[in-house]
Amino acid sequence: MRIPRTKLWTLVGGIFLAQGAIQMFGALPLWNQNYKPKGQVSSNLSPDQMILAFAGMREMIANILWVRADTFFDQGMYDAVLPIIRLTTWLDPRAIDIYATGMWHIGYNFTDEQSRSDRRYIPSALALGAEGSRNNPETYEMFFETGWIWHHKIADGFPKAVYWMEEARKRPDLPPARGNILSMAYQRNGELDKALDLMYKQYDAAAKRVLEGGEYGDRNQRDTVGNNINVMLGRMSQRGAFAKPGEKPPVPFDTDPKFDVGFTAQVTIPEPAQLRIRATWNVRPVGTRVRVILRDADYPNAIPGGMVWDATNEVALDPPKNLTYMQDDNLFFRNRRADKTIDMSRDPTMYPLVSDKYYLEFYYNPRIAPPHIQDKFSWSGEGMTAKPEFLNTEIREGQRVVFYRMELTRDMLRRTGDWLDKVPVFATPYFEEDRVRNTDDNLIQVPGILAEP
Amino acid sequence: MSVILSIASTTLGEAIRRRVLLVILLIALGSLIIAPGLSVLQPRGQQAAITSLTMGIIQMTSALIAIVLTVYMIPNEIERRTIYTILCKPVQRWQFVVGKYLGAVAALGMMIFFMTLVLIFVTSLNSGFDIARVQELVKGPFMYFWQMAILSAVAMMFSTFVTPLVNFFLSSGIFIAGTVFSSVFQSFMENRGTNELTKTLASAVQYIIPNFALYNVQNPIINPGQEIVNEFGYYLQSVGYALLYVVGLLVVAILIFDRREV
Repeated sequence: MRIPRTKLWTLVGGIFLAQGAIQMFGALPLWNQNYKPKGQVSSNLSPDQMILAFAGMREMIANILWVRADTFFDQGMYDAVLPIIRLTTWLDPRAIDIYATGMWHIGYNFTDEQSRSDRRYIPSALALGAEGSRNNPETYEMFFETGWIWHHKIADGFPKAVYWMEEARKRPDLPPARGNILSMAYQRNGELDKALDLMYKQYDAAAKRVLEGGEYGDRNQRDTVGNNINVMLGRMSQRGAFAKPGEKPPVPFDTDPKFDVGFTAQVTIPEPAQLRIRATWNVRPVGTRVRVILRDADYPNAIPGGMVWDATNEVALDPPKNLTYMQDDNLFFRNRRADKTIDMSRDPTMYPLVSDKYYLEFYYNPRIAPPHIQDKFSWSGEGMTAKPEFLNTEIREGQRVVFYRMELTRDMLRRTGDWLDKVPVFATPYFEEDRVRNTDDNLIQVPGILAEP
Repeated sequence: MSVILSIASTTLGEAIRRRVLLVILLIALGSLIIAPGLSVLQPRGQQAAITSLTMGIIQMTSALIAIVLTVYMIPNEIERRTIYTILCKPVQRWQFVVGKYLGAVAALGMMIFFMTLVLIFVTSLNSGFDIARVQELVKGPFMYFWQMAILSAVAMMFSTFVTPLVNFFLSSGIFIAGTVFSSVFQSFMENRGTNELTKTLASAVQYIIPNFALYNVQNPIINPGQEIVNEFGYYLQSVGYALLYVVGLLVVAILIFDRREV
């Protein structure tokens, strides 16, 4: 039988057209929707990694790499872990544990000699969390982890913590106890009604589970939330949260009268890249921590007392090397004074100090104060005041915070130029070095079992 | 038809007797059995990693078997001159090509079937027998079968005019291009920053080279719980795509082999 060659070549042409049509308009769009690996594998891996990855073993390779990263953790080689985090999450965008651990590692583990973390990494940690939540939208975990970084590590930008925690709560797999943290985030965000409302919902849900024969965890959750509701109602009542505008209570709220925190500070630079800070604070009970920030005056996305931390979507393995951002959240006051030396000289890669101009900022926000301090100041500083130079009601909407900024130069910080032989000393207004010693005036009265009736 | 089936069954028998293929199969089966023993992985990701590994073993082994099985098929017949004893009978060349191909695909299907059985056994041994899970698991090897059917057709087509060694690299190259670089071509096509010439070239390559990546459906198997849209329709289109491609390649192979001096 003779083969009709022309007809067959025509058939081949037709078949190729048909296969192209099926591929482009039918199978490929569905494959992209259903089966295509998420993430950015194809554009970020080297060819050899891609071959292995697309050979169908992406998750396996990701796991092997992650096991290798564990060794680096143990050896303290934190830098080496970063590329592995990036690679493994590209290879396996469903690896929630790697995303969560990676976020924590980037956000917390790069510290200076005095255990201050490198805040320049925080945007990358948040970007990794956002990417992880995009790639794993069906579970609460990455939403919660990202919210936790906002709530705990950043402790600022409170609406962001609320947003991520709310997203986590939309997922049905959120453990009940973790839902309680959203209530705390609401409080920090000044949304007291929402915080209380959520507590009631959490309580009702736990009580229902107990009635249906729930386990120990359900009873524990019910009792915990019940206790939290009692405490919250007490605090809201004592702090005047239920007061109608203009109403004068028979007994003054704990926030009345406003207490002057008496903040002042003096900064000296005894050695290059060292700040000695002495400060006053009239609150006698311990628990006050003032945030100290030293940063380039033109640090990108910086705001007074912090930064717009999620301004970028990029997970950068290296922080901006020529920029300086030092944040110390632990200027701790005891006996109404603080004396702390912040030594940046031993970490030049973290604090390069190459810009000409710097801001040194002091920032205190009652929203993150411990409850016994909040009992007087309330959540938004209603019971707190300070000298006009320090009290600020603008940099955080609806909040009364303490904020003061000084300007420094590179020569001052590095003790070069005009400051080679001179010790730079700066003080805020009203700073009196002897004032905080052995004086009993202006003490805060914290209600408690030892308080006068 | 009986001629084609007769050549196919002979080819299947030959394939089963070839030691190199059996060795590859045994290595694959051994790997599948020991894969769950990898307990050093992160606890939560362990199941996903093991499923990923076992799927990868099946896919890579199948590809290797498909290429090794097919590249020698026609050249060996010519070299050993056994082809004369076939073609001197009332057997058309196209029947010979089609029979050889069907025999190779049958052998391939049988080997994938064995590997799937081992996969099910090992998975059930580790996490208990669950019919729903098994139904999910077999989707992977099922689609690999069609992927390898196309790969075999590619190798068969090349085997009509190139030597086995060249064919091995050509077929492997096309398989890699159709799996690994499918996403790359696609990203070229979709990226707004890519210039028009590159886009056109990427589209052309994507259009011409068989898209093996269409048969990589293991993602939802490895990470269950994902929402799959129109799964049946997708499988239907993918199988249709494979059949069309195979027919097209076999016709080209027939056309080339028909003019070849043997």
